[in-house]
Amino acid sequence: MTGLVFETLVRLDDRGVPQPHLATSWQAESGDQRWRIFLRSGVTFRDGARLDAATVAASLRAANPDWKVMAAADAVVIETASPRPALPAELALMSNSVARHENGKAIGTGPFLISQFDSGKHLSLKANDQYWNGRPFVDSVEIELGKSYREQNALFDLGKTDVIEIAPENIHRAEAGGRTVVSSRPFSLMALAFAEPPKSADESHARNALAMSFDTTAINHVVLQDGGEPTGALLPNWLSGYAFVFPPGKNLDAARREKLLARRITPWTLRYDAADPVSRVIAERIQLNARDTGLTIQLAISGASDLNLLEISPSSADARVQLRELASALGLPAPKLTGNSAADLYAEEKALLDTHQVIPLLQLKSAVSVRANVHGWNSSTSGEWHVEDVWLSPEKP
Amino acid sequence: MSFRRRLLLMFALTVVISVAAVAVIVSYMARRAFDRANDERSAALVAQFRREFNRRGEDVARRVQTIAADPETSRMALAASKPTPDYSAYLDDAQVMAEAQRLDFLEIADDRGTIISSAQWPAKFGYKEPLANAKAPTVPFLKEEETPSGPELGLFAVRNLPSAEHGLFIIGGIRLDRTFLSTLDLPAGMRVLLYENLDSGATSFAPQHLISSSEPSGNELGLAALIQRVQHDAKDANAVVSSSPAADDETVNAIPLKGENDQLLGILLVGSSRRPYNELRGQIRSAALLAAGSGLAVAILLSSWLAARVTRPVEKLAQAAHEVAAGNWNAHVEVSSEDEIGQLADTFNRMTAELLQQQDRLVQAERVAAWRDLARRLGHELKNPLFPLQLTVENLIRSRELGQQEFDETFRESSTTLLAEISHLKTIVSRFSDFARMPQPQFQRVELRELLENVVKVYQAQLSKTNITCVVEATGSVAGDPDLLHLAFSNLVLNAIEAMLQGGRLGVRASADQSTARVEVSDTGKGITHEESARLFTPYYTSKKEGTGLGLAVVQSIVSDHGGRISVRSELGKGTTFIIELPSNTEKLPSAWSART
Repeated sequence: MTGLVFETLVRLDDRGVPQPHLATSWQAESGDQRWRIFLRSGVTFRDGARLDAATVAASLRAANPDWKVMAAADAVVIETASPRPALPAELALMSNSVARHENGKAIGTGPFLISQFDSGKHLSLKANDQYWNGRPFVDSVEIELGKSYREQNALFDLGKTDVIEIAPENIHRAEAGGRTVVSSRPFSLMALAFAEPPKSADESHARNALAMSFDTTAINHVVLQDGGEPTGALLPNWLSGYAFVFPPGKNLDAARREKLLARRITPWTLRYDAADPVSRVIAERIQLNARDTGLTIQLAISGASDLNLLEISPSSADARVQLRELASALGLPAPKLTGNSAADLYAEEKALLDTHQVIPLLQLKSAVSVRANVHGWNSSTSGEWHVEDVWLSPEKP
Repeated sequence: MSFRRRLLLMFALTVVISVAAVAVIVSYMARRAFDRANDERSAALVAQFRREFNRRGEDVARRVQTIAADPETSRMALAASKPTPDYSAYLDDAQVMAEAQRLDFLEIADDRGTIISSAQWPAKFGYKEPLANAKAPTVPFLKEEETPSGPELGLFAVRNLPSAEHGLFIIGGIRLDRTFLSTLDLPAGMRVLLYENLDSGATSFAPQHLISSSEPSGNELGLAALIQRVQHDAKDANAVVSSSPAADDETVNAIPLKGENDQLLGILLVGSSRRPYNELRGQIRSAALLAAGSGLAVAILLSSWLAARVTRPVEKLAQAAHEVAAGNWNAHVEVSSEDEIGQLADTFNRMTAELLQQQDRLVQAERVAAWRDLARRLGHELKNPLFPLQLTVENLIRSRELGQQEFDETFRESSTTLLAEISHLKTIVSRFSDFARMPQPQFQRVELRELLENVVKVYQAQLSKTNITCVVEATGSVAGDPDLLHLAFSNLVLNAIEAMLQGGRLGVRASADQSTARVEVSDTGKGITHEESARLFTPYYTSKKEGTGLGLAVVQSIVSDHGGRISVRSELGKGTTFIIELPSNTEKLPSAWSART
């Protein structure tokens, strides 16, 4: 939703390819260590001020202290300490959105203006008549924050909302119920993250055995109602193109299990989000699968644990940027990503998996249900809502 | 111990033993009655549990049946009948149905045993449920059910929902927990506990598996041994449990609860507080103590009176017997009853009377015998000198027919002989006269050494002549008559000298303490026989050719007059020792003598 008010220089399309937005083009120099970004002209902030290189450079410097950002006439120049071939994709991150600060308030260039904001509860937006890309079709947008899926569903059924989020496990049911559902490709990662690196080779083997014990296909089909895809990789296959080489679990035969679990391992504690019933069922299934393999897992909903069941929603559809985000969220060493090829990306992802600190389980879809009179709804792969393209038709009696 | 005290003690013991016996019997009977009542109450509670178990089981079966009849279940059955069934749509159904039917456990499985939906463990979809088969029990049963939080004990029922090709199995149950136990109507002082024997084949006690219908009593740990016994034997058992001094004793009956495969899944523990019994036992003990104390006091009083009543005639009899023993044969007991004691007293009186008569007869007989003996002795003694007298006179008469000169000579010799024999007769008469006139002792302090040395000194010449060695060892003093004692010891020394005419050793030894003086006179003569020893002090008895037999009689008379006694110890061939024991007799001394001592 931040993108409705604040914009980035670059946007990623559905395939994760950077596309010009506030920037019109970019040019790499010095082996991807120096980038020149050319700015769009005619863009204004809400208060009427023009978008210029100095404002953009200030925003980028604030968000990236290790970058050296310089303002040129109609462009900004970014210098980094090491080659960053994915820098345009990084510029698409909302953290790199452009804002002008006036009297302690941030002002954006987006299609909507904030008319009211009650933190964590409610956000009122109104159309930015001066939007450089054309005024939105809708005059205003009311957004209720902090509502559970169940509450959103109830509001939708009562006709009090036009658009709601849908949990992955409810996508199929909503579609079967005749609702209009707009869903993304599998994007969020559900994974088991170990709190500590393995302390011995036996523990590494045991973690391998655990990774191969999960019946993620059944979990996806039954628990998530096919709201995701089983995976053994960190990045989805549609993004990286090689995820199939990291197959999901349930391929552990008895002989290999015996070899991997030659020594008894201390039981692990798995913590999950107690507020999420689906998370609980998945955790219990993991416990069952692990028990079948010969590993003991105890479930916990609070306190310290050996394992955490996490769902990570990256904010970028760029593979390199996403891998870096995932590594950061999982507490793994940041990938170097100095190369620009798929082989470099694969090597970095494999290195992360080889730490035995993360076991990918599923790639989850994100989805919204929209009312029949809502047209032109378009969510980006990373989950951004482009409400400026939406228009409403009169409701049928 | 006196007869009265014995009687008193006997009465007291009888009362105490009787009260104790009554207390023990009453206590035993009370315990048996309590145990019987407790058994009955426990049996009633177990029966109630079984009724409740069956009722709840039927209830579970009804609810499971309701689920089986639910249209959603039919849709599930329809889905199961497809060649490649997809159960993903039914993940939450079991939870919804279990909630609607208030079941704690619900699993729906197809006829291949695959779990379609599980309320207690939703993640278990796709796993196998062993009960989902045609051999599933048709009646409610106990089962250990796995849940994510661990195994739990439940009351289950299974219903099969058959369809054309494939069927469904609905396995529902309720948790056997405190809520279940709290539905039981417990009599006061009773409680019921359930031990969930969840680790199959477990033979150890895990406190967390013990569920109580009430607040913990503190006896929970004390149940461990009983539970382990049932785990081991799988049979009913009971025990009295007390884990802490603060907690009440409790009789606990343990009943094993078994599952379908006869495995021990739970143990029902019916506890009955022993507080009422303990209170009753305490009351019985208090009453017994009170009764024993009161009875003892009454027994002492009554037995004192009774013992006095019973023992007074006996004591009189004893007193009379003592008097008789002391020489008073005139003792008489008053006969105050006609019972055994009265008969005894009468017999005693007759006995004493008879003794008196016999004594009189004996005295008369002895007196006659003494006179006869005296006459014999006198005759013998007098006969000896009379025979020479007769011969001398006859010789003198015959000498008258001879010449004057011969007559004169005969007359002179005869006169001498006559005078000598007459003198002998006078001596004999004098001795008898002296014995008859033995005076009473005049007591004064006598130094034994001085006395005995004076005695020996008199016979010094004879001792030297007969080659007798004499030893005098004497210390101490005694109250007595020195002349009579001198006479007594002289007789003994003379006897000793006469016993050692061929020489020997004479020993005169004396010692004295506060109460007694002991004097021994011993010789190394030929000794005397036992029979002679017995008759030695009889008057006029003598073992010598010449003697009146009055010497030792005189000695005994003197010793007796001094309150002492004399004895003799003799061994043939080795010698004889006379032992005289004299009391100190200080009380018989004149006051002046006493003051001086």
